[in-house]
Amino acid sequence: MNIRSKAWKLLMVGGLGASLLAGCGGSDEAANSAEKVTVSKEGFPIVETPIKLTMMAPDVGIQNWEDMVVLQEMAKKSNVSFEYKNAPKESFDTKKNLVFASEDYPDVFYAAGLTPSEQLKYGEQGVLIPLEGLIDEYAPNFKALLDEYPDVRKSITAPDGHIYSLPVVEFSQHWYRNPMWYNGEFLEALGIDKLPETTEELYDYLKRVKEEDPNGNGKADEIPISSVTTSAANVRDIRTWLLGAFGIYEEEIYVDDSDVVHFTPVEEGYKQYLEYMNRLWTDGLLDPESFSQTGEQKKAKGQNNQLGLFSDWHAYMTKGGEPSDKDPMFLPVRSEYVDKAAIAKNRGITTGAFAITKTNPYPEASMRWVDYLYSYEGALLFNKGPEGTLWEYENEADRTKKALPVPGGGDSEEYRSTLTPNYGIPAPTVSMDDITKGLKNDFDLWVEKETKTKLLDNGARAPFPALFLTVEEQSEINSLNSDLSTYVKQMEAKFITGAEPISGWGAYVETLNKMGANRVKEINQAAYDRWKAS
Amino acid sequence: MITVTQESKGDKVFLICTYIYLSVALLIVLYPLIYILSASISSPQAVNSGQMWLFPKDVTWAGYELVFNNPKIWNGYLNTIIYTFVGTLLNLAVTLPAAYALSRSDFFGRGWFMAFILLTMFFSGGLVPTYLVVKNLGLIDTMGALILPAAASVWNIVVARTFFQSAIPKELQEAAHIDGCTNLKLFWRIVLPLSAPIIAVMALFYGVGHWNSYFPSLIYLNSEDKYPLQMVLRQILVLQEMSAETTGAAISGDIAQAMNSKAETASLIKYGVIVVSTLPIIAVYPFLQRYFVQGVMVGSVKG
Amino acid sequence: MKASKSPGAELPLLKKPSRRAQVLGNWELYLFMLPAVLYFLIFHYAPMYGIQIAFKNFVPSRGITGSEWVGFDHFERFFNSYYFWDLIWNTFSISFYELAIGFPLPILLALAFNEVRNGKFKKTVQTVTYAPHFISVIVMAGMIITFLSPSNGMIVMLIEALGFNAPQFLTDPAWFKTMYVLSGVWQSTGWGTIIYLAALSGVDPQQHEAAIVDGASRFKRVLHINLPSILPTITIMLILNMGNILTVGYEKILLLQNSLNLESSDVISTYVYRAGLVDAQYSFSTAVGLFNSIINVILLVTVNWIARRTSENSLW
Repeated sequence: MNIRSKAWKLLMVGGLGASLLAGCGGSDEAANSAEKVTVSKEGFPIVETPIKLTMMAPDVGIQNWEDMVVLQEMAKKSNVSFEYKNAPKESFDTKKNLVFASEDYPDVFYAAGLTPSEQLKYGEQGVLIPLEGLIDEYAPNFKALLDEYPDVRKSITAPDGHIYSLPVVEFSQHWYRNPMWYNGEFLEALGIDKLPETTEELYDYLKRVKEEDPNGNGKADEIPISSVTTSAANVRDIRTWLLGAFGIYEEEIYVDDSDVVHFTPVEEGYKQYLEYMNRLWTDGLLDPESFSQTGEQKKAKGQNNQLGLFSDWHAYMTKGGEPSDKDPMFLPVRSEYVDKAAIAKNRGITTGAFAITKTNPYPEASMRWVDYLYSYEGALLFNKGPEGTLWEYENEADRTKKALPVPGGGDSEEYRSTLTPNYGIPAPTVSMDDITKGLKNDFDLWVEKETKTKLLDNGARAPFPALFLTVEEQSEINSLNSDLSTYVKQMEAKFITGAEPISGWGAYVETLNKMGANRVKEINQAAYDRWKAS
Repeated sequence: MITVTQESKGDKVFLICTYIYLSVALLIVLYPLIYILSASISSPQAVNSGQMWLFPKDVTWAGYELVFNNPKIWNGYLNTIIYTFVGTLLNLAVTLPAAYALSRSDFFGRGWFMAFILLTMFFSGGLVPTYLVVKNLGLIDTMGALILPAAASVWNIVVARTFFQSAIPKELQEAAHIDGCTNLKLFWRIVLPLSAPIIAVMALFYGVGHWNSYFPSLIYLNSEDKYPLQMVLRQILVLQEMSAETTGAAISGDIAQAMNSKAETASLIKYGVIVVSTLPIIAVYPFLQRYFVQGVMVGSVKG
Repeated sequence: MKASKSPGAELPLLKKPSRRAQVLGNWELYLFMLPAVLYFLIFHYAPMYGIQIAFKNFVPSRGITGSEWVGFDHFERFFNSYYFWDLIWNTFSISFYELAIGFPLPILLALAFNEVRNGKFKKTVQTVTYAPHFISVIVMAGMIITFLSPSNGMIVMLIEALGFNAPQFLTDPAWFKTMYVLSGVWQSTGWGTIIYLAALSGVDPQQHEAAIVDGASRFKRVLHINLPSILPTITIMLILNMGNILTVGYEKILLLQNSLNLESSDVISTYVYRAGLVDAQYSFSTAVGLFNSIINVILLVTVNWIARRTSENSLW
């Protein structure tokens, strides 16, 4: 007893002391420290006398940001320079939370991936300042973009009517997830010239891969379809594409054509998907290691030429060798239950890429700075680096470019990552076809064509818009999801492998509803209706 | 070790069994270590497909080249050595006196102090308040942030205390007291020289802790030139860990592509990274082993 | 040693001195404690006010004191979880399994080392067994998955070459705990010997010499001299381990976990980790952490009490 009471006293004293300390730390407001500077509304430089701000951003550890040519050039051009507070990308979130907790805010967040709930929470408390006024005054390029695409404005406007962050806009990136690819050599060996269009035809192809030795090594070592499981989800890389055959756009939440929101794991189509997968599993067509292998092990199988159908960014990344147009993209198949396959498309917008905090003494200049990234020239600079390094104009008028040899040889993407911060992080910018005009090689063009004919022309659309939940909705979803998603994941694996017979479906749905599946659906429906109406 | 006697038959059997036991342990542990060495110079494909299982296959030094061509690696080594050295000295200076005091049965209030220390093993304020303390002390982005918050560990204090309690003869201390030796002198002149093994153990435990630590540098450091080795190596490996999630969220094309193309490099260097980061600290161990030999202590009493 | 001749000691320890004298006479010991006390006060007790977020809805920008109180909501959420009892069972069983196998092995290994003459062999075995401690969790898990891969894993091949059917190590829930514990033993046994080796170095060779004269065999001497001399260390280590029973790290489990073995692999820490992934749920994880701590404290106090009753060694 004594020990405890003393410990409590100490605890209280320590606690008080620290919280007092914490209290007198941060809160020096920006307003009193900033001298007035005139921010020009157009053209460069943005300010006459150079100013310096702090920027917090994730970093992939290749080049120090101070040494990046693109950022140096931008600073010279605009007279706005930054002190960079980088944190490694993998642990950026930890550091971001500490920054908010310690009130040690940077002036701007760059590529910070602020979640909708963070934007809302910190926006409502005034840590992130509302941007809509600044956009109207100081962001001509971004404003033009919003006027052209009203959905973007809808998606970045929080339920309280303010805009707290600028997005990544990528209308030229259509894939919802990595596509699947057929092994071209297998198709040829089996004499298949028309890709499967239905789940039955797909089944037949997979069966033939297993039985007819298409890699011709005399061993039955072919694996018709292989997948990997991450801690986040099972077989997600192939699931996205197979769910579509049963009319389902996405694995968790999607909206159908009549504005009704669906929670996938309780859908009838999801059950049909499970039955199909169970059939593949039972007949040995789905790699039995799909639930336990690492991505590297799967790649090794690809390099051994064992895989018939697999998912990756490009086929050659799994199969090894050079980029090749011999491995066709998977054409979404349909089952007997639907007329056409549901195909998910990237919604092309990621919110939370750029935000300005209340301690920023020059919000106008910051907005002008980032607005340049939404212009053609700015997006080009930040994406491809300055002219004369990796590219030069062939015809500046129609924006055609040609690639230059990589200085010092080596991989051009790798070199690019030393020039610009926009490598592997969700940076605020817009992607336009003009940026890459003339820089695309035959392989890029082929991939583009595959994407168009197989996905876009077949009715691909975004499964669910980027939208905001209120703080309360978000926290309810979070607490429901921690059990729900685990249970769904576990049962999916059991249904597919037959550890749980599909006759257990009824009990499974009942359990899901007890865990709050209905609430998840209702909350998302409400949020969607708000988004639609705004 | 006792060398003077003639061994009986039973003793011989016992000794042979001991040798067999150790040999088996050696083999079991050795295999995966050889595997790592071999994997670090084999092609990732051979490793991941199971073709490489003992000796290197499709030998490539590309992994090591990638690691050593990274300009930050040497600076990282230097930083780690400095942090480890300074940090460990501080650890010993805090731990040994406290552990000694706690080992004395005539130390009034020892139970209270014990409780005071043990409580922190279970209850912690968490990341955010700890960060605030470090920040309010002005330690952010300094070496202090890495070594001061890790100045002692409850576990090690308890272990050292146990050693002092059981290995330093009580009579020695009483005799010293009667001779008028102050506690300070007793500790410095008698206890410490007798405690080489525990000092070595503590130095090793704390030193390895500093050597392997990356989380404090992650949250407290902002400047890359202060990053320790583990942080630099993690950065090199970052994209690999992320790549597992590539197929996850609907992310932007640039990110997915960057991750996919980096995944391969990372799987090439991950074994090399282990070798690079642990060889130095493994090399230290044989030098410490001589303190763990029976009789070392008592020998020094007599000497 | 040089002992001073002057009888300046105020406290002959022959009879029990008064408390006041005891404190004054040992004033230096309080000085010895000072750095450690300061350290724990500043870096551990000062931040402890953070525990209150277990009873609040912590929002970083509002601060710890400024966030709203929600009482036991987070605890209720945890207790009401569909997986609560699975988590508790898995955490306990993995911990005890690990303790049952992982605790005695370093002791045996240390005793064996002690019997072997100093030489190249001993040095090699010692260094080699110590090395795995430094392998990072990621590589460790990667190796386990590679060695146990049903299609080409070393261990699976070996079992099949011997004519047995290899079990599905990676996906069969029945095998998860064994896989986790044995790989842990492989990695940490050598490292675990260090503390016992240090303790063994305190054994007086004269005891052995006397025993030899009495005709005691090697085995008997190990049993009656070496083992008792490290018993205090063993006891303390056991008590400390018991105080950590609910603390099973998440990193390795997460890397070896999959949907098929989830029912035996999900522990408290992995559960909290997943909750935090969605949206850094500091309050929830603090609440679960607090629950863990309380159970751990209860266990530690109990075991310490037993140890104090049955032996001379205990934490207090």
